[in-house]
Amino acid sequence: MVRGAGRGGRGMPGRGGMGRPPFNRPRVLMLRPPFDLILAEPAFPRCKPAPDDSALTQALLKRHAELCPTPAEQSAVLSLVTKLQTVLDNLVVAPGDFAACQLEEVRQVGSYKKGTMMAGKNVADIVVIMKTLPTKEAVEGLSNKVNEELNKLMRAEGAGSVSCGCHERGFTVTSSGAASAAVRVLVTTLHQNLRKLEPEVHLDYKVISSHLAAIRHSRWFEENAHHSSIKVLIRLLRDMCARHSGLEPLTPWMIDLLAHHCIMNNPARQALPINVAFRRALSLVAGGLFLPGCAGLPDPCEAAHARAHTALDLAAQDAAAATAQTLLRVVARGGHRYVLGLQAFEGGKDISTEITVWDGVVVSPLAPAYQETPEPMDTDDKDDEGVQDGVAA
Amino acid sequence: MMAANNYFGFTHGGTQYGAATAGAAYGGQTGYAVAPAATAATYGTQRAAATGYDTAYQAAAATQAAAHAHAHAAVAAASAYDASKSAYYQQAAAAYPAAAPPQPQPTYDAAAAKPAYSTPATYTQNTIVVQGGARAGGGAKAYGGVYTHTHSHTATTAAASYPAQPYTAPAAQPPKQSANRGNTAYDTALYNAATMYVAQQNKTGGGGGWKNYNKGGVGAGQQRRPKPPPKAQQLHYCDVCRISCAGPQTYKEHLEGQKHKKKEAAVKLAAAGGGAGGAGGGGGAGRAGGGAALRCELCDVTCTGADAYAAHVRGIKHQKVVKLHTMLGKPIPSTEPTKLGGAKKTVAGTPKIAFVASGGLSTVASTSTKEQKPPQGDKDKEGDEKEDEGETEPEVQPVGQDYIEEIRGDDGKALSFNCKLCDCKFNDPNAKEMHMKGRRHRLQYKKKVQPDLEVKVKPSMHQRKLAEAKAQRLLVRDEIWARRRMHEQGMEEEERGYWEGGMEPWWPRGPLPPHHHHHHHGMGVPYGPVGRRPETSDDRHVVAKHAEIYPPEQQLQDIQRVVSHTEKALKSLSDALADHARPKAQAGNKAQNDKKDDKPEGKEDGRDNQLFSFVGEGEAAAGGAEGAAAAAAGAGTAGTAGTAGTAAAAGGPRALKGVMRVGLLAKGLLLRGDRDVRLVVLCHDRPTVTLLKRVATDLPAHLAKVKAPGDDTKYKVELLPAEGAVQVSDGSINVLVSLTSAVMREPAEGGDIKRDDKDVLPRQKCLDALAALRHAKWFQARAASLQSCVIIIRIMRDLCRRIPNWTPLNPYAMELLVSGVMQSAGAALSPGEALRRVMEAVGGGLLLDHGPGLRDPCEKELVDALGNLPPQKREDLTASAQQFLRQIAFRQIHKVLDMEPLPKLKHATGGWKFPRKRRRSNTDTEGDQPNGEGKVVKTEEKMDASENSAKK
Repeated sequence: MVRGAGRGGRGMPGRGGMGRPPFNRPRVLMLRPPFDLILAEPAFPRCKPAPDDSALTQALLKRHAELCPTPAEQSAVLSLVTKLQTVLDNLVVAPGDFAACQLEEVRQVGSYKKGTMMAGKNVADIVVIMKTLPTKEAVEGLSNKVNEELNKLMRAEGAGSVSCGCHERGFTVTSSGAASAAVRVLVTTLHQNLRKLEPEVHLDYKVISSHLAAIRHSRWFEENAHHSSIKVLIRLLRDMCARHSGLEPLTPWMIDLLAHHCIMNNPARQALPINVAFRRALSLVAGGLFLPGCAGLPDPCEAAHARAHTALDLAAQDAAAATAQTLLRVVARGGHRYVLGLQAFEGGKDISTEITVWDGVVVSPLAPAYQETPEPMDTDDKDDEGVQDGVAA
Repeated sequence: MMAANNYFGFTHGGTQYGAATAGAAYGGQTGYAVAPAATAATYGTQRAAATGYDTAYQAAAATQAAAHAHAHAAVAAASAYDASKSAYYQQAAAAYPAAAPPQPQPTYDAAAAKPAYSTPATYTQNTIVVQGGARAGGGAKAYGGVYTHTHSHTATTAAASYPAQPYTAPAAQPPKQSANRGNTAYDTALYNAATMYVAQQNKTGGGGGWKNYNKGGVGAGQQRRPKPPPKAQQLHYCDVCRISCAGPQTYKEHLEGQKHKKKEAAVKLAAAGGGAGGAGGGGGAGRAGGGAALRCELCDVTCTGADAYAAHVRGIKHQKVVKLHTMLGKPIPSTEPTKLGGAKKTVAGTPKIAFVASGGLSTVASTSTKEQKPPQGDKDKEGDEKEDEGETEPEVQPVGQDYIEEIRGDDGKALSFNCKLCDCKFNDPNAKEMHMKGRRHRLQYKKKVQPDLEVKVKPSMHQRKLAEAKAQRLLVRDEIWARRRMHEQGMEEEERGYWEGGMEPWWPRGPLPPHHHHHHHGMGVPYGPVGRRPETSDDRHVVAKHAEIYPPEQQLQDIQRVVSHTEKALKSLSDALADHARPKAQAGNKAQNDKKDDKPEGKEDGRDNQLFSFVGEGEAAAGGAEGAAAAAAGAGTAGTAGTAGTAAAAGGPRALKGVMRVGLLAKGLLLRGDRDVRLVVLCHDRPTVTLLKRVATDLPAHLAKVKAPGDDTKYKVELLPAEGAVQVSDGSINVLVSLTSAVMREPAEGGDIKRDDKDVLPRQKCLDALAALRHAKWFQARAASLQSCVIIIRIMRDLCRRIPNWTPLNPYAMELLVSGVMQSAGAALSPGEALRRVMEAVGGGLLLDHGPGLRDPCEKELVDALGNLPPQKREDLTASAQQFLRQIAFRQIHKVLDMEPLPKLKHATGGWKFPRKRRRSNTDTEGDQPNGEGKVVKTEEKMDASENSAKK
């Protein structure tokens, strides 16, 4: 009798059992970080004089000064964000007759919050967490309400007007003042509501959860990446990525993590000089930091073992690595002015896709390695890892 | 079932008076306890008990007074009453003596006198009591339970003595009120019917049509249809359908029409069911599942809810009827909805047999219970009602207005509405309103908009099942985890026991049930090789490539043999030279030489890749200086015996002190097809061309001497003065023997130079040979111990041989690079990982101009082992590595290694993949296994399910 009961209780799950195999030994343990010269210093002691990098340093600083937003831009976006925050806070505290949705919380996120805004991109981000589910109608309702309230507020101050436009992430409030500024209001919902989302009715699940992630990112950034070297490097890298097609798919979050890693992750735990960090960033990406099969950068804001770069598809990972590889060699040959965008290369061409000659040394771009194979490659371990990460994340 | 049968047997007289049934049930107590239908029957009984005594007479009388046609029913009712009465008494007589003789009688009387019946809820409780208590206590107790309620109504204390007493508390209700209401409602119903009838009679003048029609239709049953009213009238009103017809012709047609016939039939049925119900006030018995259905008495329409009712009242049909009735002067009942029942008809029908299902009876009872109360809203009743029916509360607020879009016509008038949440359309604003209050819409709203909205959910059977299954799965999962932990501990212990040899292995143990056996087999295997490193596809490719480039055994043996012979010959030559230098050999020296020859354990050649010293022990002192020199050169083991450091013995030191394997041979980096190996002979002094020539001349003789007897290999010795070496060749394998000396490191002027500089071998060559010695030492000390390092260096050597971009990378630099990369990894790397990491390092710009360079650990100064590499070569090397890196990352390592891609590994050796796949197949096949655990769970689940359903 006793045995029978025990046996019954120990039964294996039925075949429709539990989604994930319960005892998967995480293969993520298998992944190792890429070769990182800064960390491998003991194995490769410098045996020749360090090159004079002052030119690169100067160029980096100069470019950064160009990339910083002007005070006018900053004040414009600041005033818009403050007003919008006021309006939204009011809606959280006293919704009144506003019934399109219920707001739980409003948070500033993104480059505005992190202090990494770039000149010419005067867009701040605010995440609105809804208590109710984020239907398209709710977003529209909120957008209308915000538009109305904000315009009321602006009229009272005599400070121009704003307009709201909905999109699939929420809506964007644009002010038409002297210095134009915009605030993207990103809509998300409570965590427990995530699995109730339906694709036709609500905003996309991925969008919603990415907005939740944005909140975590901002918090992490505040706690870990407040060093100004990091912010400088983030601006430089974002600008560089924006100008080279292969690096474009890198998300701001990846760049944040990469910059933080390059500046802070060294044996001494002291911020590295910007030129070293910049070279390191290029070198790491070129060394396959964002390639499949590499541990990459662990995402501190996701469940254990999530890697930041798995958000990229394989072709993008390949392109990013190849571009960084070419840029690395260009920079090594003294072409940093082109890479940084201080100097346009042959009328705005993408230097990472051109054959260049530097003092007789030919630097050529690389062919992509990733191919769409007819028989999928995913039966093997590497792509499995990617998939698993997806699950874990 | 028995009860039901009984019931049908007894209901000839008056269907409503199921008392007979109940009586029978009570009398036959076993049947009562067991039969499920008894519930209904009992209920009917109660109902009878309630209304019967008080109202049946009244009903009968009223009916009689009102219409002749009702006489039939009245008789029936009366007789039914009699029957029930007698049944009660009988039964009471039978049951009470068993339980508590003195008390029940007055109680019963009270119950009979004051018809007070409780709500359906209490009856349910009663049946529970019956089920629980009947078995042990017999029907008497159950019966007592039933009566407790009546007790409580009549406020006697007798209830205390009954076992079912606890149930009385929730059932306690204001008995009088309900009883009164029962009476009044019934009275009004009767009154309504009567007045209506009268009015109709008055209107029609003759009193024929309606009466006749009813009489005929209901009373006769067989009759086809009623005769049309004989006289012409302005209004042709069909009472069944409650419509008026424009003229006699249409009226006739209407009466012959399908619709009318249907209605008529329905009315007949209803009358049959409610014939007695007319008396009992329980009309509409035929309507199943009435719930809290609302009736519009005027139109004889049943609405499922308040909203539906409201919609109906607003509707055009209802308005028409109202208009008609006003015109006719008929009484118009208030628009207040009647909760289903209401004596809508006083029409008595021919008693019909076997029409009303037992379920129907309960409906009648329950609806009639409620019929009076909606306006009053008695609290207790309301509560009971909710409990009973889970009906949408009337105070529900419509939600989700935003999600209903109006579809407007061209004129801007709303044509229809579309609910985006529920994906449905309505044409009517009323329908929209109702929809917004409806459960389905609210559920959708909860699901899609506001998760915290409260929607009363009526758990369907399906949902309940799902929930159960979920709970079951959770349970099972917990179990599995627990078992896993247990199992792992167990495995550890067993493993330890097994290896310690103290315990016998786990599987032959007797007492374990076979189930366990199976379990261990299924799960134990994959977790066996826990510590084993998984093998990736990259690893397999690298290993396969390595096997391909690794030299065959034959080649290795050949090389070994040639090198060994050369070394022995060199030793022999060294001895000969030493002897020659000291022709008058000292006795001691001779003896020492002999002694050395005697030593069997002495080194025969440089097989261990260490310096093969030619210096005998006796010559230790003599070799002191040389030993020191060798130590300085990094070959410290050479003359350690000579650390005494005394002056050279008489006759001077040996010219050739020792030989060492260097390069590929020493490092074990030979690849398939490699034919060139290197030996370095350390000389005491600067090696000269003269010495080299001497060696070249004498070596063949010594080679012949050391050859095995049967060995007919022809060795050819070649003098290469430019290289500072001689080359020994057996035709396929070339051994380059370089001569060098530690003193070559010192500047040419510094030492005691006795010979002409011209005679000395080229300095650079000698230094290279010395460096080769140190590199071999370094390699053995550092690189060879790193996991995967030698494999990867072999692979890289192959790469450098194959790919022009890599050729400029000199072997030593490559070895430094690879070993540095391995070392920096901080952990053991599998071959695939190691190769990738090398590519990462080079691709990441390690070898580019701004890189740190490769420091040569074998030099005192900072020397870049790759210092001479031109920028373009570095660039090409880096670019190539970058391409390789991405190819490896995208599983094209075979392109890097220049080999065919290996087929994908399915199951077989990959132990690390094993668990998952294995588990999958395990679950798949489980159904087939007689002892499969899945089966056990299944049956268990079933058991649970049945248990649960039994509870409900």
